[in-house]
Amino acid sequence: MSFLQPLLLAALPLAALPIIIHLINQRRFQTIRWAAMMFLLAANRMSRGYARLRQWLILLFRVLAVAALILAVSRPLASGWLGLAAGGRADTTIILLDRSASMREQGQAAVGSKLETGRQQLVRTLRLLGSARWILIESAQIKPRELRTPEDLLHLPESEPTSASADIPALFEAARDYIRENRTGRTEIWICSDIRANDWNAESGRWQALRDSFLEFAQTIRFHLLAYGDVATGNTSLRVTGVRRQAVGDSAELLLSLRIERSAATAERATIPLQIEIDGARSELSLEVEGAEFDLKDHRIPIDRKQERGWGRVAIPADANPADNEYFFVFDLPVARRTAIVADDPTATFPLQLAATIAPESALRAAVDLLSRDQLGSIEWDQTALVLWHAPLPVGDVARLLETYLDRGGQIVFFPPRDPDDAEFQGIGWGAWEESPGELPVETWRGDQDLLKNALSGAALPVGQLQVRKYCTVRGEGTWLANLRGNIPLLARATSNRGAAYFCATTTATSDSSLASDGVVLYVMIQRALASGASVLGATRQLVAGDSTNPAEDDWAQLAGSPDALSTEYPFQAGVYAAGEKLLAVNRPDAEDRPATLSDPRLDELFRGLDFQRVNDRAGSLAQLIQEVWRMFLVSMMVALMVEAGLCLPKIARPSGSTP
Amino acid sequence: MFPDRKPRSFLDAGVLSRLAAVPLFSRRPMQGNVSGRHQSPHRGSSVEFAEYRKYVPGDDLRRLDWRAYGRSDRFYVKEFEADTNLRACFVLDTSGSMEFGSKGISKIDYARRIAGTLGYLAVQQGDAVGISCFAKGIVRSLPPRRNPLHLMNFFDILEQAAPQGETQLVEVLHELSETIRQRALIIILSDLFVEPELLRGCFQHLRFRRHDVTVFHLLDPLEIQFDFRRPMRFIDMEGGPSIFAEPNEIADRYRRAVDNYFAALRPVMLESAIDYHRIDISEAYEQALMRFLVGRSKVKGVR
Repeated sequence: MSFLQPLLLAALPLAALPIIIHLINQRRFQTIRWAAMMFLLAANRMSRGYARLRQWLILLFRVLAVAALILAVSRPLASGWLGLAAGGRADTTIILLDRSASMREQGQAAVGSKLETGRQQLVRTLRLLGSARWILIESAQIKPRELRTPEDLLHLPESEPTSASADIPALFEAARDYIRENRTGRTEIWICSDIRANDWNAESGRWQALRDSFLEFAQTIRFHLLAYGDVATGNTSLRVTGVRRQAVGDSAELLLSLRIERSAATAERATIPLQIEIDGARSELSLEVEGAEFDLKDHRIPIDRKQERGWGRVAIPADANPADNEYFFVFDLPVARRTAIVADDPTATFPLQLAATIAPESALRAAVDLLSRDQLGSIEWDQTALVLWHAPLPVGDVARLLETYLDRGGQIVFFPPRDPDDAEFQGIGWGAWEESPGELPVETWRGDQDLLKNALSGAALPVGQLQVRKYCTVRGEGTWLANLRGNIPLLARATSNRGAAYFCATTTATSDSSLASDGVVLYVMIQRALASGASVLGATRQLVAGDSTNPAEDDWAQLAGSPDALSTEYPFQAGVYAAGEKLLAVNRPDAEDRPATLSDPRLDELFRGLDFQRVNDRAGSLAQLIQEVWRMFLVSMMVALMVEAGLCLPKIARPSGSTP
Repeated sequence: MFPDRKPRSFLDAGVLSRLAAVPLFSRRPMQGNVSGRHQSPHRGSSVEFAEYRKYVPGDDLRRLDWRAYGRSDRFYVKEFEADTNLRACFVLDTSGSMEFGSKGISKIDYARRIAGTLGYLAVQQGDAVGISCFAKGIVRSLPPRRNPLHLMNFFDILEQAAPQGETQLVEVLHELSETIRQRALIIILSDLFVEPELLRGCFQHLRFRRHDVTVFHLLDPLEIQFDFRRPMRFIDMEGGPSIFAEPNEIADRYRRAVDNYFAALRPVMLESAIDYHRIDISEAYEQALMRFLVGRSKVKGVR
């Protein structure tokens, strides 16, 4: 139970007034000389049972009546938000709004989405509680914004859903910074979220720092989580996994690959109408789907031969979550796959040149620039898909140049120099060369992802056939993609935001390994790295909504997508945008299709030590989170008074014994 | 009326004159020593026929009924009721509890008025009047006489009676049963704060001694209704321990105790043939006495 006027609860001891009056009355007795002691003694000997009980009941109901009156004027709230406003009106109320794509999920009754319901519940609740200041921090911009009234939440375009994920720890950091900078008084922080594991990122080390900094604040800070943890059943999601344009004779066609995932409840056989839109022209395709996952590979869509680039959209009918029912894509002529090989000894890189030059398709153009470290200035970075670095690790300005290239989505593969030094790049450096007495085979490798993943048919690459005679040890922490026998790293990937920096522990020299002679693995690695690097080049880009590396939205013009989207939020809204010469397709992150939510113990762990309350709500719920219940207390008071009056009524006097 | 000219607070000339019109009768034959208004167990010379009796030698020939002889040829003596006076013994409770009175008059004052008025009326019609005041035992006693001077002494005792001490009504009544030798009208004025079952024995004793027993049970209305609002400390007027009570809490049980008491007292009075009058002392004593006297007139003749 919580109260809007908790100070009035200080008057609650007044409920003891009837007892005090009773005790005072007992002290103010009268004395009388009495003759009929015989009857008094007889009365005292009789069972006091009901009479004593009646006295106590009368006192009890008087106490209840006073207590109910005090509670009623304290304006009690009925809610699951225990201890909601025990300190009275808040100085600052900060609303952390999760606008992630999964918040568009609807409940069973399809009355409203989680975000919509959450906003309405917040408005109703906050309007009742009152506050001196309202601050909104939403997951797209992550900037504090002052609201005039809680009702603004319903009308602000910044509170509408996006296609991006939410970075909940960043929301908390923004709230912490706001509190620190503005030195707020008593602060209430309200979080409206569907507690998706990917949004909350519970494993992040930021949570510990956040907890500590919130605990350090002198003022009272309370956290209220409005959780929409239910996962809708009967949801189908759609995702395009690949689009290629290819010329076929005199015409051209798009090869479209997509994946449909269905929740378990709708996994039976069904026909899903798939709507395909290419540059505004729509067509429809019926897909016979069975099981939870369905992959459509290289569906051919004929297009005009002259149309070299364009955009498209695929969509399925509306279901529980409208955010994952459509996907945008852009296509273009394949860009030239340019590789820059940086080597102190160009002759040693011949196998690399071969692997980079031979394109897997005739339509693809490949080129190799062979450079020394001194010639780095001549590289056209915005046209280079891959850098093969066969020299000592870069330092200083060169390292920064490569890091910028990485951040743009570039790919780099480092091979060890003959004389390794202490330099590091992205936390990884070369150790000393080791020579194995025999030939070391590759024992383990990641066949599920990255450079060494299995072929589309599922067949593994012949990585196991590689033999390594000399290798250079790798220092630092990274993701190990392949290990030699004895758990010796062969291929590692450094951690980076975008792009990829790989470290191959041996070279293509025949004295070092069989990478060149068993060239399949080397060729696949190089071509895959090239393909990844080429995907960020060219005039079309597939972007992930909300990604921090997305280009600035200054000159974006919307070609397709939600008409309600704010132009400042284009990088967060799924759609197709034209940015100058480029075509950009923005889609939700993969993680938004994963329905895993945070477990209750994990959530409690995140808020350990903080004043935290949680209430679970459902999308489309019409029940108010809190409501005033003073009427109930007034009725209770009246009932108590009536019962008390009934108990106080004197008994109907029976005539005393008649005269004989 | 007041030979010594001393006004008595408990006598009211108006009441006396009004009540004088109704004679005081006994319900049982009385053994007086002079002629009076009351039946005697013996045959006498009144005008009221009693019975025929066979003549036996030695009987007075003047009482032979010649008409009966003429009808039956047998000798019969015609006998008549004898009228005699009665001895009214007042038993006045002077224990501490008799001092109580919530309506401006105490029980002892009320008892004085009843005893004084009845005593005067009795003496006026030639009956003897005596009194025994008792508390823990008999405090003062005056044997029945019927002369006016004796009445003055009777009034003096009434006037001087001071309520004090405990009540030992049962023992006193047993004692009086033994000490009053002849049949008498015994008028008990008390609040009877004794267990009814204990009274049964002494009343039976009085009845066995052929006394006509009348009880004026004097009670204050407050003692019956127990109409208190605030917590009270009740101090026993007879010296017992005081009791603190919350009237709201105890009133019900008190009234139940009173009802139980009356219910137990009723069969005791009926079985002992007691002329029982429960008097609320807020009622005018004239009415109570009128009711008493008229009731006696109706049952006159019971032997």
